[in-house]
Amino acid sequence: MIDIAGILAENILYIVMVTLGGMLISWSVHFVPVGGAPAAMAQATGIGTGTVQLAAGAGLTGLVTAGAVMNVSDSFALVVASGAVGAMIMIAVTMIVGTLVYVYGVGVPPASAKVDYDPITKDRQDLYVSQGTEGHGLPTVSYVSGVIGGALGGIGGATIYYSLMNTSTGLSQSDLVALASIFAVGIFFVNAVIPSYNIGGTIEGFHDPKFKKWPKAVFASFVATLMCAFVGVLAIGGL
Amino acid sequence: MEPLMGMGVLALMGAAATIAGTTEDLESDVGSQSNPNSQVQLAPQMMYPHRIYNKAISGEPPSNALICAIGGTVASVLMTAGLSVVFAIAVGALIATAVHGTYAITSYMGRTASQKRFKQPIYLDIIRSHTPVIMGYAFITTFCILVVSYIMVAVLGHPFPLALIAFIWGITVGAIGSSTGDVHYGAEREFQNVEFGSGLNAANSGNIVRKAESGLRNGIDNSWFCAKFGGPVTGLAFGMTVFLSGWVTAVFDPAISITWGWLSVVAGVVLVLLMIIWNRRIEVAAREAYGPYKEDEEVAA
Amino acid sequence: MSAGGAGGEATGGIPQNKLIAVGVLGGLIAAYAGHFLVQAAGPAFAFIGALGAICAIVWGCAAVRRVASYGLGTGVPSIGMMALGMGVVASLFGLAVGGIAGPIVAFITASIIGLVIGALANKVLGMGIPIMEQSMTEIAGAGALTIIGLSVAMTGTFMFDAVLETVVATGYIAVIFIAGGMAILHPFNANLGPDEQQDRTLTTGVEKAAIAMVVAGIVATVSEDASAIPTIMIGLALWYVAFRKYVELVNRDAYKVIGTGLLPTEEELE
Repeated sequence: MIDIAGILAENILYIVMVTLGGMLISWSVHFVPVGGAPAAMAQATGIGTGTVQLAAGAGLTGLVTAGAVMNVSDSFALVVASGAVGAMIMIAVTMIVGTLVYVYGVGVPPASAKVDYDPITKDRQDLYVSQGTEGHGLPTVSYVSGVIGGALGGIGGATIYYSLMNTSTGLSQSDLVALASIFAVGIFFVNAVIPSYNIGGTIEGFHDPKFKKWPKAVFASFVATLMCAFVGVLAIGGL
Repeated sequence: MEPLMGMGVLALMGAAATIAGTTEDLESDVGSQSNPNSQVQLAPQMMYPHRIYNKAISGEPPSNALICAIGGTVASVLMTAGLSVVFAIAVGALIATAVHGTYAITSYMGRTASQKRFKQPIYLDIIRSHTPVIMGYAFITTFCILVVSYIMVAVLGHPFPLALIAFIWGITVGAIGSSTGDVHYGAEREFQNVEFGSGLNAANSGNIVRKAESGLRNGIDNSWFCAKFGGPVTGLAFGMTVFLSGWVTAVFDPAISITWGWLSVVAGVVLVLLMIIWNRRIEVAAREAYGPYKEDEEVAA
Repeated sequence: MSAGGAGGEATGGIPQNKLIAVGVLGGLIAAYAGHFLVQAAGPAFAFIGALGAICAIVWGCAAVRRVASYGLGTGVPSIGMMALGMGVVASLFGLAVGGIAGPIVAFITASIIGLVIGALANKVLGMGIPIMEQSMTEIAGAGALTIIGLSVAMTGTFMFDAVLETVVATGYIAVIFIAGGMAILHPFNANLGPDEQQDRTLTTGVEKAAIAMVVAGIVATVSEDASAIPTIMIGLALWYVAFRKYVELVNRDAYKVIGTGLLPTEEELE
């Protein structure tokens, strides 16, 4: 049997960091403006897809960038920042093209139905919401919120990957990369689904009243990720 | 790597990704997948039976991740056996495409059979004509993503194994496709019977257009429409994602020194800020061009 | 992506307890049988691992069907991706620390994580789905057994050194993750609707699991301790049988299956 106490004592910092990464991912999902099926019909503000899907798409793009940088650098700050940049670029590009489709393909101006004035630009919103819908497109506040969400998700994913890569182990480098990356993907999915159940699948961004529910999801992710962090670090550390 | 060589490789990846994004969106339009499909699903219940494919293969990200991961796995197995890269990628994409075909058929037949009480028939000619088109697009998507993934692993030296990178890009292309191009299909093509730009009243849900220029509308008619705008912009989005996220580290290579690494982060943040400003400009232009839907009843507080 | 079922418990068909027994016992026995038969009688018996994965996948489909019938607020796929997320962490942990007890350790770990997440979903997030705890436990357990079964089919063993070398380091774990996950979540998603039938959904599960088996067989060509040909041939045969059966059930359940034709008339819809 492996020396559980020894491995835990040696890697306690990384368990804490993986857990923090998971909580960040969970928090980040609340920022991403996702309208689900209604948004795909331009009936709700936000991106017309599912929460889990978009968060995973952005976060895993960040993971690819972080993995590439991790290969050539061992600076924690740089790896995490690169993960954030990769995820931010993905989500910013997706949202800008989404705006192009809403404005030029569907012919509706971006408007939020949850607030009367955009908190960032102070533009009036309610007059621009078409009849019978809950808003459409991505007003500036949702766009900025999405970029923040992408950045936090990228940071979270990169933190998990970095921590698992630095857990003391007897594995060869290529085995470690593969194991750490698949664990990071697995933990990412768990933490992307928990908040989407919390917000019921749709949110407009940090100005949405639903955003206030985030402590619940972050707490749930704390417990769930802590367990995943224990087993993940034990598995890697025990080899 | 030589900076010029790096740029060339990146351009190739961007081009392949653009094609992959376009075909991913058109594939989901022919089959009607992801969020817009909820209207196709709802229509028979609202007494609007139709002849549109109902390809409910989970969301687009998992379904594209599946074909890309299978393609990457088979290609990697064949390369281990010593076969040429192009052959391996082509065969990998072919097997992935065959699997995708079975997923498409089971979802069309399954969803439609589960709508018995709404009297929605299963049309076998829809299966015979649409499934090969779906598979064709899926082949191009998988092939291009495998090209991108292979270049990243073999040329750019990315540490993740091929199958895992292909899996991740599959998730990403699906997420982008369902966020961008699908809106053109869901909000415009399915509801061409309402005035352009009037917004889609929730009361119209399920009342999708069922008649075509000639005969009854099907998924291939939808892809013809979406190929004019939704498909290409999806390609643009995925191409930009692959290109820009690689571009910042190709120009400012973190392998040279940590300062260059930080410059690449700065470059990425600047790009994102530019896009925030761009989005704002489009927003302002749209508000001016289209104007408000309602008159202001009370004085703004 | 659809928003799940209409709310309320799914009914009919084989009782869940029977499916749990099939999934747990089938999954575990096949993992061990595959491992020991490969050692005793040669690599040709690696395919037994994939048969265990099929049992686990059918069980997972049934569990997804029960919980998603309540309506999750977001798509059915989310729960499948979560199951495999938990499953991949737990199963690699189990195999890494458990040695010969690996599959059992993995299964128990996954079930505990699933139970806790299910409890969190109800108690903290307030989802209010009465069977959430049980279903999450089942789905996570099924995910872990699927991953282990397919790993045995790929490598002929569940000993971690071989799994690490053949399945993880090469990235083939990604295909296990998504092919297993899709096999668990797709059947209910593909048959969603008011006239969904359990036997049709589970038949789709067998068909999709057979595809995962064929893919595992293709990977087995690179492994010395697992034969590819038996896994691929048996997988294809199972796929064919399940697909025929599925088409038969669709013909039984559908309103009409016609070659081509116009839409139903107004009178017909009355």
